[in-house]
Amino acid sequence: MRGAQFVREARHRAGLSQAELAARAGTTQSAIARVESGTEAPTLERVVELVRASGFDLQFRLVPLEEAEWAQVEALLRLTPAERVDRFEKVLELSSAGRRAVKEARRG
Amino acid sequence: MGEFEPEKILEALERNGVRYVVIGGFAGIIHGSPHGTGDVDITPEQSRDNLERLSRVLVELNARIRTAGEPDGLAFDHDAASLSRTRVWNLVTKYGDLDLTFEPSGTRGYKDLAARALRVRLPHVETTVAALEDVIRSKEAAGRLKDQITLATLRRILEEGG
Repeated sequence: MRGAQFVREARHRAGLSQAELAARAGTTQSAIARVESGTEAPTLERVVELVRASGFDLQFRLVPLEEAEWAQVEALLRLTPAERVDRFEKVLELSSAGRRAVKEARRG
Repeated sequence: MGEFEPEKILEALERNGVRYVVIGGFAGIIHGSPHGTGDVDITPEQSRDNLERLSRVLVELNARIRTAGEPDGLAFDHDAASLSRTRVWNLVTKYGDLDLTFEPSGTRGYKDLAARALRVRLPHVETTVAALEDVIRSKEAAGRLKDQITLATLRRILEEGG
């Protein structure tokens, strides 16, 4: 999620209107609207401030960049839903066949 | 992304005499896991001869580096020496994604895995798959959040007699 999405999601979960969040954060409803719409790119500190004003917190940690994994997601998104289901069905077929093959290998 | 035809990837490896062990999510599928994976993971044996055969297979499969923003992957030159210099290769091939990992997490590589790997006959190809215990061991050591559900399934399969 991007900063604006965190702010909007935290406000929704807290059941606050933009005006109510603005009052808690000491700003205006229009300023909250600009952040949430992406019209204004908030700093990281501002996002944390607004999320905390909604009663939540953000935790950050460094994780390895998974470029290759994201490439797979991009490829899946290029498929139609039917093609994705077809791929999954093939995997399930292989799973059944594999299980039988492993049992045979152990017996042999 | 075209069709995912993992058996065709394995068939090319087998036909060219590459020594390898299937690991990771695809090994889990062979052992009966219903949790999908988008690639075939293998641990190749690291002798020069074997990596030369592997390099030829990669040419045959039109293997390219898999990376975000490049649907067809990035072309790369490879031979036995260059393949051995990088510990993990994430590739896209004409039959789907192929990952080469010389020392999967929690293991000591090919010899370690081959010691109790199984030779299994799938519908269209015979292949060598890591023992379920080793698939679990590697996923546990990797400690990735996405593996947690799969791990619960694999442990259950192991409890049920593998």
